[in-house]
Amino acid sequence: MSPRFGLSARLLPAFLLAAAGARAEPLAPHQPYAQASLGVRVSKVSDAGYDAFSDSDDLTQVSVGLGGTLLRHQRLSLAAVGFWDYGQKSSNARSSFTELNVHRLTVGPELRYHLLPPLYFFAHALPAFAHSGASLEDGVAEVTRYARHWSYGVDLAAGAAFEVYGARTGSPRPRIWAIAEGGYGYLGSTSLQMVPDSGEGPQRPAPVDLGTLSLSGPYLRLSAAVGF
Amino acid sequence: MTKLAWVICGALGLGCGGRPSSWDTPYTPPTAQKGVAAAYGLSGSVAVLDLPLKRVTMLSSPSTLELASRSIGLGTDLVAAQVSADRKTLFALSRGVQPQRTPNDERPQLLLIDGGSSPKVSQTYSLTEPMEQLVLDPKNEWAVVYGGAGVVVNLNELVLVNLAQTGAAALSFKTLLSFGGNPKRFTFTAPLAVPGGEPRRFLLVERDSDLVLIDLAAPEREAVTVPLPSTDAGGTASSAQLAYDADSASIAVRVTGTTSVFMLQLAAPATAGQDFSVVTNLVDVGGMPSAIDFVHNSQGLRLVALVGSSAVLVDPDTATTQSVQMPAAFTGIRRITDELNPSATSAADGDVALLYGPNISKIAYFNLSGAPGALFRSIEPYDIGVSVSNVIDVPGETYFDHKILQTPNQQFYVLDLHTRESAPMKTNGGLTLEVAPNGERVWAYNPGQLGFASVDFATLHPVSLMAERQVSNVFEIESADGQRAAVALHLGSSAGIGATVLDAVSPSTAYARFYSGLELGGVK
Repeated sequence: MSPRFGLSARLLPAFLLAAAGARAEPLAPHQPYAQASLGVRVSKVSDAGYDAFSDSDDLTQVSVGLGGTLLRHQRLSLAAVGFWDYGQKSSNARSSFTELNVHRLTVGPELRYHLLPPLYFFAHALPAFAHSGASLEDGVAEVTRYARHWSYGVDLAAGAAFEVYGARTGSPRPRIWAIAEGGYGYLGSTSLQMVPDSGEGPQRPAPVDLGTLSLSGPYLRLSAAVGF
Repeated sequence: MTKLAWVICGALGLGCGGRPSSWDTPYTPPTAQKGVAAAYGLSGSVAVLDLPLKRVTMLSSPSTLELASRSIGLGTDLVAAQVSADRKTLFALSRGVQPQRTPNDERPQLLLIDGGSSPKVSQTYSLTEPMEQLVLDPKNEWAVVYGGAGVVVNLNELVLVNLAQTGAAALSFKTLLSFGGNPKRFTFTAPLAVPGGEPRRFLLVERDSDLVLIDLAAPEREAVTVPLPSTDAGGTASSAQLAYDADSASIAVRVTGTTSVFMLQLAAPATAGQDFSVVTNLVDVGGMPSAIDFVHNSQGLRLVALVGSSAVLVDPDTATTQSVQMPAAFTGIRRITDELNPSATSAADGDVALLYGPNISKIAYFNLSGAPGALFRSIEPYDIGVSVSNVIDVPGETYFDHKILQTPNQQFYVLDLHTRESAPMKTNGGLTLEVAPNGERVWAYNPGQLGFASVDFATLHPVSLMAERQVSNVFEIESADGQRAAVALHLGSSAGIGATVLDAVSPSTAYARFYSGLELGGVK
């Protein structure tokens, strides 16, 4: 049995058990006051500017999230969530070593709907702030060139969270959630005018123009969260 | 983590794609064995061949110290590239996809790229068969491609490309009848005044044992093949040098292994159907000539043959000879009449020629305007202390009366033909010379070194410069705003394409701008 099917086989009984007990459980304890998550975000970046830094279109980032419920109304709740995603890619552009470091910070509201106490669906629109640091080892100038920029955008996504472990009502112990989301992350383009740091390399170096870089694209995030 | 990323991509059909393979293709400068150079200087741009990506990166200067790059696709399997004599056009000959498997496979082609400050493809000629050799007409009217590497190759098949025409109509296919030789050298003549017709240009093809004349006014007509004479020992001779005189339609061939010069006179048609006839003669000049040329003296046209320490003048009409003692055994001759008197339509009294040699520390001016009896006074030597291996012309309208004398020991002289003054220029290493297209100055450099220099012909003041990276080539181009820019290239196999750009008129590395990563432009 493949790991993927194995995971499904373990989740399905848990889901059925939870659904069976849902009628007996009140909803409120399953709407987390606070939640911290750790996961992975994979984006597809099809922009041509990304080619210099990666031999594939994927950008994999580690994702750390925090959230807190602000409002509750029956099955609906409104939370404030934020994520910090970090990823790094390196490659060779015609034999010159290149590297791209991307930090992405998103903060905003998330609307949740609890279909069942241990299962909720959510959607969010999160303003995004990203910092990209691109570098190029310039073999002719014998210097490392950089392009460092902030860019802004928004993440639009929807997903589902399933409580894989939770104590009975009244227990102070945390609940464990498995969360999956998919959406589109938009970020504005930044210039790839690669320049060495001040004082480095030849005098009066002209920038190496690699065009522009947009890290927009569809993405998936899988994470595990601890909620109280 | 990467596996997980791929699983996620695959599971949800995002289809994480790759990038063009160009990004994984390193830049490598072509080697000399390939038959193409790494870079070419044109009037308004520098062409840097990027063969791994089948393209040429054209560097031009929009304004002072600015450099712009644009990549132009070349054909597959480039085999020859040359710059036209006026430096305005880059010719690129490619074999295309071989063997052809589909009708859409790229065909062999001759690509012409305008080398001005806005480089672009100006013409493309599609060829039927892959050829490997390219010869250009100095007047930019014709190109010749020949030679191949197929299963069966006819080395005597030429494709004449009429550059004034486009498409298939520009191509003429000529198969030269052969006495057993292959093309060695090509000479495009000026219009020859052939009796009985309009002046017409000829393509002269020197082969192992014969000379072929192709009438460029009617390239479809059958070429005339003239066998060369035998050596004095009776063996097979070959052509060593060719000279012609346009006004008299005379051609002379210096032939190896004989003391005679082979003379050809194009005459009026001798039989019906001919455009012209060829009258041949063999003139003994008394020794093995090292160089020949046509000159005019007060008595008319003469052929000069340098034989040992003598200059032998041959009357082409009567084959009579007159010998003049030279102060040294010069082996090179260059007519300089036009440079001394550019407004004259013809040599009024006689030509002036420059005599030189790679083993003689002298040059001499051979003035043929005197009376026949005063020939002994006609050669005026100048001791310059070094021998001369090559004489380089200076283009343009200002310093056309200057010559650059290249020496075997990598020094060079700037010679003012009017004042007869020479300025010796010493270098501290090897030397490559690049005369600016406008003829205002010459650039000297040693590939692989940091140092390079310019010598302005107005002041003869050398300006030594030190680049921050090793220099591969130096070219001077005209900027889009009419200024002059010097481009010192830095090309490296594992590094890429870089350049230092200077103001050519007032070169200084204190203001130079450094460009690199030019091989990354336009990669897709």
